[in-house]
Amino acid sequence: MKRFTSLRKIPAILVATFTFAGCAGSGSSTAIMQAASQPYPTSPPAAMELRPLQFPEFGEATLSNGLRLVVVENRELPIVSIRITMPAGRSFDPEGKEGLASLTATLLSEGTETRTAEQIAELIEGVGGSLNAGAGADFFTVSSTVLTDYTDLAFELIGDVLLNATFPEEDLERERARTLSSLRLAKSNPNQLANRYFAAAVYGDHPYGRTATEVSVNLITRDDIVAYASTRLLPEGALMVVAGDISLDEVINYTERYLGGWTGAAPEIEFPEPPAASPTKILLVHRPGSDQSDVIVGNLALRPGDDSYYAGVVGNRVLGGGSDARLFLILREEKGWTYGAYSSISRPRDVGTFRAGTQVRNSVTDSALTELMAQLRRIQTEPVPAAELEGAKGYLVGSFPRTIETPQQIANQVSTVKLLDLGDDYLATYRSRLASVTPEDIAAATGSIITPDWEVIVVVGDGGEIYDKLLSIAAVEIIDVDGNPLDPSDLVVSEMARFNAAALEAGSLRYNIMMQGNAMGTQTATLAIEDGVISYTEEMALPQFGMSQNVEVKFRADLSMISLNQTGTFGPMSPVTNVMYDGNRVTGSGQSPGATGLESVEIDTTLAEGTIDVNLLQPLVSTLELSEGLKLGATVFDGSDGTIRNVTITVGAAEEITVAAGTFEAFRVQLLGLETEIVLYVEVAAPHRVVKVEVIGQPIVMELEG
Amino acid sequence: MVAPTILGERDDNQKLYRRGVTMLRPAIAAFVVGTLWVSSLQAQYTVQFETYQLDNGLTVILSQDHSAPIVTINVWYDVGSADERLNRSGFAHLFEHMMFEGSANVGSDEYGQLIQRAGGTLNGTTNEDRTAYYETLPSNRLNLGLWLEADRMRSLVITAENFEVQRNAVQEERRLRIDNQPYQPAFVESSTLLYDSTTCFGYAHTVIGDMADLNAAEVGDVQAFFDLYYAPNNATITVVGDFDRAEAKALIQQYYGDIPAGNPTPPRECEFEYNTGEKLINWPDKHATLPAVLMLYRTPRHDDQDSRALQLLGNIMGSGESSRLHRALVRGSQSALGSGASGGGHREAGQFFLFAIANQGVEADSLLAELKAQVLKVVEEGITEEELSKARNSFRASTIFGNQRTMSVSNRLMHYAHDHDSIDEINTDLDLYLSVTAEDIKRVANTYLRDENVVIMMVVPETEEGEEGVS
Repeated sequence: MKRFTSLRKIPAILVATFTFAGCAGSGSSTAIMQAASQPYPTSPPAAMELRPLQFPEFGEATLSNGLRLVVVENRELPIVSIRITMPAGRSFDPEGKEGLASLTATLLSEGTETRTAEQIAELIEGVGGSLNAGAGADFFTVSSTVLTDYTDLAFELIGDVLLNATFPEEDLERERARTLSSLRLAKSNPNQLANRYFAAAVYGDHPYGRTATEVSVNLITRDDIVAYASTRLLPEGALMVVAGDISLDEVINYTERYLGGWTGAAPEIEFPEPPAASPTKILLVHRPGSDQSDVIVGNLALRPGDDSYYAGVVGNRVLGGGSDARLFLILREEKGWTYGAYSSISRPRDVGTFRAGTQVRNSVTDSALTELMAQLRRIQTEPVPAAELEGAKGYLVGSFPRTIETPQQIANQVSTVKLLDLGDDYLATYRSRLASVTPEDIAAATGSIITPDWEVIVVVGDGGEIYDKLLSIAAVEIIDVDGNPLDPSDLVVSEMARFNAAALEAGSLRYNIMMQGNAMGTQTATLAIEDGVISYTEEMALPQFGMSQNVEVKFRADLSMISLNQTGTFGPMSPVTNVMYDGNRVTGSGQSPGATGLESVEIDTTLAEGTIDVNLLQPLVSTLELSEGLKLGATVFDGSDGTIRNVTITVGAAEEITVAAGTFEAFRVQLLGLETEIVLYVEVAAPHRVVKVEVIGQPIVMELEG
Repeated sequence: MVAPTILGERDDNQKLYRRGVTMLRPAIAAFVVGTLWVSSLQAQYTVQFETYQLDNGLTVILSQDHSAPIVTINVWYDVGSADERLNRSGFAHLFEHMMFEGSANVGSDEYGQLIQRAGGTLNGTTNEDRTAYYETLPSNRLNLGLWLEADRMRSLVITAENFEVQRNAVQEERRLRIDNQPYQPAFVESSTLLYDSTTCFGYAHTVIGDMADLNAAEVGDVQAFFDLYYAPNNATITVVGDFDRAEAKALIQQYYGDIPAGNPTPPRECEFEYNTGEKLINWPDKHATLPAVLMLYRTPRHDDQDSRALQLLGNIMGSGESSRLHRALVRGSQSALGSGASGGGHREAGQFFLFAIANQGVEADSLLAELKAQVLKVVEEGITEEELSKARNSFRASTIFGNQRTMSVSNRLMHYAHDHDSIDEINTDLDLYLSVTAEDIKRVANTYLRDENVVIMMVVPETEEGEEGVS
């Protein structure tokens, strides 16, 4: 796609297009003659008659083990698509073991009693097919698509993984490590933080409000997974939808053959009622150093089967359903506050949400939130003009058929209808129900779906910069990224760190750079002292990635900075930074690798008293008197991109850390406010060396070698 | 880390990367237990179609499929970079951009807008042999898609201003997607090295062309190119999906019938010789951190039975984790970080292609020796029946999966209309692939994979100072 980003104009011609119009009706020879003799039109032709959607009939059966079968027979092509869906998604994770369903899905095809993971992969790939397992919020699915000739193999493998998966311990540990790494990444991602806290705030103790954490994932054992699979991945209440070149009878035969021993019912779990709505308030997730604010506004909305869904979806398309909707056009095109702004209505098995969200610069956070709220009220109170209405319906009605083109897509749609109990005519009537929505319907539906006076608002951003602005909109509650409550006074760091450069001693520390447990490179940090000038150098090499970096910072024992020289190789890029400090003045040029190439910056600026070079945080943290709970501020200058950053240093509990150099009792020291969060583990005992460094959100750990 | 990213970025919509399409086909493992593939497949699952021409020469192909109320409209102009003349390279691709700049009754932003508001999708692509445009729409908007394509066929707006905008866009595209990427310039240039620009300029230059040629072009050249190549007699329109035949024919007559035919287009000129002697080229690459080796052999045109055998061999040697190169070079000797092979080619000429990206510490010379050893092994010993069976399964599966969507069916119809003697071959071609034997493959390997028929590119990392790259 090339140039369809700008969708400003609304073509008036698309008004009122769902009735007979324009061209010939199908099959009428008179009409065809007329069409052929008509002149070439000079404006886009109006829509033709909506063609009937001949949604395939389903064959249905319920087996003796309680498994519901739906077969969408379609002999057009020799392709068979199988999908088993069980009410065993993430919302069934036991409290405290959040992440269990997802880990179970990941491990399901990692080996059975008679096949290794490699054999399963070879079998299915060898016939050009696919086999997948996954856990959504509500449902756990196992699916396979193959050519008809290999239908037997597909059923056999599905049966094998469902009945005989062995969940090897070593695979669990590998997948646990990957899950933890992605959770850490999520914590550094403001958008994911906003989603997580929005769900928690709007759903409270309801399972939809709970998400996997490092703690919960670490508590999951192999026994938990085996128990989950044996008590929840069961046929009673599950749905198997098979689409393509196969009949109901054939499906029943295969099922008896390969899933014959599959019996049992998962225990019923009543979900608690989500909390009652309360007057609009703001949950501010304080993320120090955040350059922008992620905003989500929303509320609990519909249960599946609610008829106001159709008008709600059309209204949502007008409000924020795409790049031609109001939120996008106003917040981005008109005001220039953001790259995007969207809204959506979710429809899970239990109650869903309405939500609208955007990411904006700190300085316009309050303006953007105020405008967003105004648009929520406007869609409820002002009748939607005909042109906007028809544009929205045109998209929704028109794009639906593309979602049922293949048997696999049809299977997905039928599954949704069955699992959410939307009624057998749902798919057949979906387009006409959307097409008949009126402006009055939208006002009525959005009036109940959107509740501007009763919203949950989550803002992830730097509280120090946006807290006061938000107060004018609604009451504000503040938490940190881990969910701990904060007081407004916590947003300002009172005490600055007192680094003691005089305590530094000459010497060298060598670190292994570890990725997923493998040493991939080294970093050597050296301190040299000569004639009152302290020189700190870091030599980093990651040869397999074509990456290396050398840093040299010169400074004095009174913490006055002298110079920074930095060179690096990052694949094709070779950034060079040379910076001179002179009192509070800093001049020079910096380069850093960016997404599209080297980013260069000329530096000539003034620094606050006590600002240190960013590279010195690591050696100087050893000179602080650390104790658990201590929270200090530091101002650092990063010559490579010319930024001045306020870093918060938070000292956590001491932990036992084992690295190549030995086992150490070390404080967990968190550095927030840098480009990425960094955690240093600092020896409790002298000489307080940094024994381990974690870069949060990246699979990189540095461990002291000697 | 380097190799997978580069290859992963290839996109089969992007003509610049088209070699990647075959190389990156998902792995089909060789594990086939007593599997019989059914050779009567094509008889059972034929694509039904109808084809005719309007008075002005526009070729029409209609294929109904009422399984979902959608329709794909696909228009191919029989012009690609192979039609370009010396000092006029890059025009075909530049034109693809120009086709979204507006026409007599459609504004420059309106193509996408009108299609999206109807719930549809659209795109355009260019390669050596043709330029393609398509949209998929709900079937009751067939008329909108047909009309939009007609409006730009009959009245494209060509101004100095929008020409300048798109010329800049193409140059930016080249910088971003080729020049600034490791290995990409080598991949893009490699197949042009098989041909002599005096006897086959068409295939001896890249699709995106020479920036100097584009800079020298004037708006009058663009208008002349449009008048010659974007005439109905040089185009094919294919409609696949849920439509009424009589109604579609009437609309096509109404929208396209009065567009005047253009002059006949000049014939393509491409002559090349096999076995002109081994050619070895050192290709410095300042973005690459590891050496790579590319080997290309001249082979027959796409629609030749030897080409089918070579395509199966490409699958056996280079497709997936069970392929020969992966087993030998990536998993076995661990000399390579990634590898691949494919057979295929253009309408008038083909290539067999192998590549490997060296692992840390492996020199390009030793990697080349390993690649050559793998070629020699096929030439001397041929392939196994198991390997052949896997390759056949792979072609069979991809052919069938290719019939699921109106979009891919329309592309397949177009392919047979343009690159084969008859569209009817859409229903017989798979049988020709399945009829290839192990002996055939050994024979074509002996015929074409010869040292005197190869062009080798040694991609050498280079720093800006011209030294060997940092590693």
